[in-house]
Amino acid sequence: MDDMEDDTTIFSTLKSFKSLISCPDRSLLETEPAYGRSDLQKLYTKRVEAKEAAERVRSHTSLLQLTQEKQQMELSHKRARIELEKEAHSSSRDFQREIDRNGELLLKIKRLEEREEKANQALNEQMENNKVLKRNLEELHKKANEKDSKLAESDQMINELNDETRRLNQKIQIQESKFSTQNLEIQALQEQLDVQRKKYQDVSQKYQNLQSSHSISTESELKMKELERRLALQEQDSVIVKNMKSEMARLPELEREIKRLREENTFLRETKENNSLLKEETEGLRRKLERVERVMEEKLKAELEKEKLEQELQAWENIGQAAGLNIRKPQDLSREVIQIQQRELNLKQQNYTLNSSIRSVEKARAELLPEIAQLRAKAQEEQKKRENQDSLVRRLQKRVLLLTKERDGMRAILESYDSELATSEYSPQLMLRVKEAEDMLQKVQAHNNEMETQLSKAQEEAGTFKLQVQMVTAELEALKEQQLSDAEKNIFSTAEEVSSLRQKIEELEAERQLLEEQNNILEMRLERHNLQGDYDPVKTKVIHLQMNPTSIAKQQRAEDVEQLRLECQLLRDRIRKIEAGGGVTTDDTTLIIPPSQEILDLRKQMESAELKNQRLKEVFQKKIQEFRTACYVLTGYQIDITMENQYRLTSVYAEHMEDSLLFKSSGPVGSGSMQLLETDFSRTLTGLVDLHLFHQKSIPVFLSAVTIELFSRQTVT
Amino acid sequence: MSKTLKGITLKGSAELVAEFFSFGINSILYQRGIYPAETFTRVTQYDMSLHLTTDAKLKNYLTNVISQLKEWLFDCTVQKLVVVITCLETNEVLERWQFDIECDKTAKENSTPREKSIKAIQEEIRSVIRQITATVTFLPLLETACAFDLLIYTDKDLEVPEQWEESGPQLIDQSEEVRLRSFTTSVHKVNSMVAYKRTNSM
Repeated sequence: MDDMEDDTTIFSTLKSFKSLISCPDRSLLETEPAYGRSDLQKLYTKRVEAKEAAERVRSHTSLLQLTQEKQQMELSHKRARIELEKEAHSSSRDFQREIDRNGELLLKIKRLEEREEKANQALNEQMENNKVLKRNLEELHKKANEKDSKLAESDQMINELNDETRRLNQKIQIQESKFSTQNLEIQALQEQLDVQRKKYQDVSQKYQNLQSSHSISTESELKMKELERRLALQEQDSVIVKNMKSEMARLPELEREIKRLREENTFLRETKENNSLLKEETEGLRRKLERVERVMEEKLKAELEKEKLEQELQAWENIGQAAGLNIRKPQDLSREVIQIQQRELNLKQQNYTLNSSIRSVEKARAELLPEIAQLRAKAQEEQKKRENQDSLVRRLQKRVLLLTKERDGMRAILESYDSELATSEYSPQLMLRVKEAEDMLQKVQAHNNEMETQLSKAQEEAGTFKLQVQMVTAELEALKEQQLSDAEKNIFSTAEEVSSLRQKIEELEAERQLLEEQNNILEMRLERHNLQGDYDPVKTKVIHLQMNPTSIAKQQRAEDVEQLRLECQLLRDRIRKIEAGGGVTTDDTTLIIPPSQEILDLRKQMESAELKNQRLKEVFQKKIQEFRTACYVLTGYQIDITMENQYRLTSVYAEHMEDSLLFKSSGPVGSGSMQLLETDFSRTLTGLVDLHLFHQKSIPVFLSAVTIELFSRQTVT
Repeated sequence: MSKTLKGITLKGSAELVAEFFSFGINSILYQRGIYPAETFTRVTQYDMSLHLTTDAKLKNYLTNVISQLKEWLFDCTVQKLVVVITCLETNEVLERWQFDIECDKTAKENSTPREKSIKAIQEEIRSVIRQITATVTFLPLLETACAFDLLIYTDKDLEVPEQWEESGPQLIDQSEEVRLRSFTTSVHKVNSMVAYKRTNSM
């Protein structure tokens, strides 16, 4: 556009220039003829003006050119700028494109890198696969090698087998040759065989003849045997008859013998009874004998005892005589014994009393002895005290003496002081001192008196103790005298008492030992029981915590047992239900055992199979009905199967309901061969039967003929 | 521990004996397998490694009994402590671990501590517990599930606290008894013995 505008400006300037040039030319031309003289001036002015105009035009054109050039420059600048901008745009676009391409390239690079990695991984995997495959290959090589080896072996085997086959073939050939030779032999043998057969036939005929004659001969032999048997029987019978005769002859003799034997029998029975009686008598006598013998023994014993007793009696009597106690009867003896016993009892009582008195005395003595000892000790103490006190008294007396001497001395000093000094200052002091001394003296005297009184008391006590001691000793001596006298008395008692006492002592000792042993045993038992954990309920009691592990464990056990019992019950009930219901497992219990999956599947299968069965049956029923109706309609016959392989056909056009044809299938099932059976209706169709079945042998034609016949009958009538 | 370094008081002796019972009962439960072995941890006591249960209920029960026992030891009213092991199936007593306690009552009146070194007491306790562990070799195996109970023989006139009740001595029918070592703190003397049911194979 700028160019166009530039062109238009250029054209416009050109036009203006041209117009200017033309104008001055015209003006020049016009003005020339008019002015002759001033023409030169005018021409000159005009030239000058034209020159100026031309200069102006030139300048103008140069201006225009410059402006054009400027415009062109501007244009070119603009163009350049535009172009630059375009270039910039384009370069920016290129840049962006490059950037995009860069990005894309980077993405591509990344993808390529990923692909590379994948390819590497794939490569690695492939390498691994390669390795695996190589290994497999190696294994396969090995296997192939093995197989090759095996093949080689098998080849060897095959070779061997081939060799064997060759050998066998050779053998076969040999055998075949043999066979052929043998065939020839066989033929020869067969000819021989034929010859032999003919001979055999002759021989068989002869044999048959022989057999027949043989049979005849056997029959005759049998007859002979029979006859011989009969003969033998008859001989036996004759023999028997003879024997019978002889026996008959013996009969009377036998009768006589029988009589005799009967008499003997009765006689023997009687004797038997007598025998038994005699046996009983003998047994009785034997028992008596035994008893008598026993009695004899007892008698002997009794006699011996009697002798002994007599001796004892005599001894007793002698005792009595020896003891001199006026004994004649045992009563006297018992009396004496009783008396002696009484005496003994009395003596024992006395002994016991004496023993008890002795013991009491001894106890008293024992008690008194320590008292005596105490008293002696006390007496000794008192003596000591007295001695001490005597010594004290002596000391005191000495002190008194000393004090008196001191007093005297002090008095002397005082007197001396009094005599020497006349001042009255010391006299109160001296008086005081004197007073003090006197006080002291009085105290000492009082002390002395007390001591003396104590001493006197002690002496009195000692005296009393001495008296007591004397009394006790006197009592002791008296007791000792009594003891001695008692002892003397007791010595005079019987030695028997002493011995009896000794025996008692020994018994008591034995008892004591026994008791000691029992005591030991009981102590052992007690120790044992103590070890076992026994205790004396009077002194100890056993306690434990109520919530102890054993009771808790027992409770737990009981609860577990209860739970298990309940579970058991429930399971038993379920089992009973299952056995009774046969698959119904509806329970209200919380212990539902889910039926196994197999059972459910099988049940479903069963149900589906039953459904299928039913449906198939229905479908079959329907189909067969349809088919039968179709057959009936199309063929004109209703075909029923009455019995196995028997078919009854009833025609559509049958005149009576019972008119039917019976066919029976002969031959194997499915072969289709049928036979017509006789019925009332078929008798009426004999003509058709003859024609179609016997001559043409075609059942369909026959049936269609029958249909036509019946149809014609119906339509006509 | 209120025992002085130089001597044993009644209270200190009661604590020592209660401590011995606590560890001794744990050892018996572990050795005889009344509770599974994995419920026991090892602790060091008396210079040896002993087992202690970690079962909370059992621990609670044992602390109850032992604390009550400590009081009674201080009062010198307890005579025996017995660990009874019962078979759960037949409810028969299979083993009885009996500890006789003799208390010197003069220690109550006279409160001067007695001269006995704690080391010596611990040595004696150690030998007793070692012997308990060793008895497992000749005791018959406890093949059925068992539970244990702690019985305390006390004076008849003792007031039975709440949660405690009187029970029978739970003796073993046909038992063999073995006396074990004893130890003394000079205030309390503890004799141990074990009684077990005679097995028919013997």
